[in-house]
Amino acid sequence: MRTRILPLSAAIGVSVLLTACASAPPENELVTEAREIYQSIENDPNVARTGATPLREAKNHLERAQEMLEEGEEDRLVEHEAYLARGYAQIAETRGERNKIQQEIESAKNRRDELRLEMRSAEARQAQSRAQRAMSEAERAQNEAKLAQQEAEELRKQMQELKELQAQQTDRGMVLTLGDVLFDLNQAELQGTGITAVEKLAEFMKEYEDRRVKVEGYTDSTGSEAYNQQLSERRAQAVKDVLMNNGVASDRVEVQGYGEAYPVASNDDPSGRQRNRRVEIVISDENGNIESR
Amino acid sequence: MKPHFYKGRVFLVLGLSALMAACAGPGPRPEGEMQSARSAIEAAEADNAREYEPVMLKRAQDKLAEAEELLEDRENREAKRKLDEAKVDAELASARTETEQARVAVEELNRNIEAMRERINGEQAGGQQ
Repeated sequence: MRTRILPLSAAIGVSVLLTACASAPPENELVTEAREIYQSIENDPNVARTGATPLREAKNHLERAQEMLEEGEEDRLVEHEAYLARGYAQIAETRGERNKIQQEIESAKNRRDELRLEMRSAEARQAQSRAQRAMSEAERAQNEAKLAQQEAEELRKQMQELKELQAQQTDRGMVLTLGDVLFDLNQAELQGTGITAVEKLAEFMKEYEDRRVKVEGYTDSTGSEAYNQQLSERRAQAVKDVLMNNGVASDRVEVQGYGEAYPVASNDDPSGRQRNRRVEIVISDENGNIESR
Repeated sequence: MKPHFYKGRVFLVLGLSALMAACAGPGPRPEGEMQSARSAIEAAEADNAREYEPVMLKRAQDKLAEAEELLEDRENREAKRKLDEAKVDAELASARTETEQARVAVEELNRNIEAMRERINGEQAGGQQ
């Protein structure tokens, strides 16, 4: 009997040993989880920078948990160590994440500062161009003002010249009236003084090319209407002829006979009638516009 | 035979006493661990972990309370384990809170940058008119 027991027990012992060596090392879910987290961050440079201490703690607790597991220690004790290992590994991991975010923050701050600078210089450039625009605007306004002043000056000069021609300011503009005495009696021919006046007007018109004139003939109410109409037209035309002879283009001179119409005085007495026999030269404004009757 | 018998006894006594030393006794009071766990929890509270990691912070606080009860029953070893876990929980709550705050900060920055970009582009488009 005895001789058999020994080999048997030896066999059992050996087989137990074999089983122990051949079988996979014991497993625990929490230990495995802790190991996986640890291995995933073990070589992370961000973790190395800021989570080195908890990473080392995790390693120590993980090794301790492994040992306890292999020694067949109670589950709750193994899991306590694994819990600490996992906790420290997670602390290291999240600190590594924070380190990465911190770097993002740094570069974002740099970008923000660059953009701020860009914005400032853009604003400066805009202010500069606004100032430049305002300056050229002011310059233009000044030029316009100067031009307007020159024009006004010019106009004043022209008005002065027209006044020297004996033109009168009326509600139709400047009007030069050639009285009856400047014409031969009942004739259309202009007399010397009349010719001189019209020649001066021609000089004025040649100097100021935008000016036009309307020559209007009028008579008193003596004689037939038809005759008066015709006389008024001929006298107006005579004035136009003098203007054209002195170099004024035909299209700048309009001619109109009004006959007995538009008397300026009573036809009942000689002096009134004499005032009604006249030629009025209506001078256009500086742009060639003439108020029509 | 006698000496052999003695030798066996000696071994037995030694073995037993070693076993007793290993398992018996409450062990020292974990004063240092208590201190560490408490300051880790205070640090997490100061970090505003209550807002970002309330569950993890609560877990740490509960374990601290459990450890205090265990100490009253002189369960020093078990109390130490609770305190170690409470410390890890509190530190993890802190770390996650800080990471989350950094994430919020970077998002805020990126929004600012985006808004500035849009303004610059808008001004350039407006400036070309």
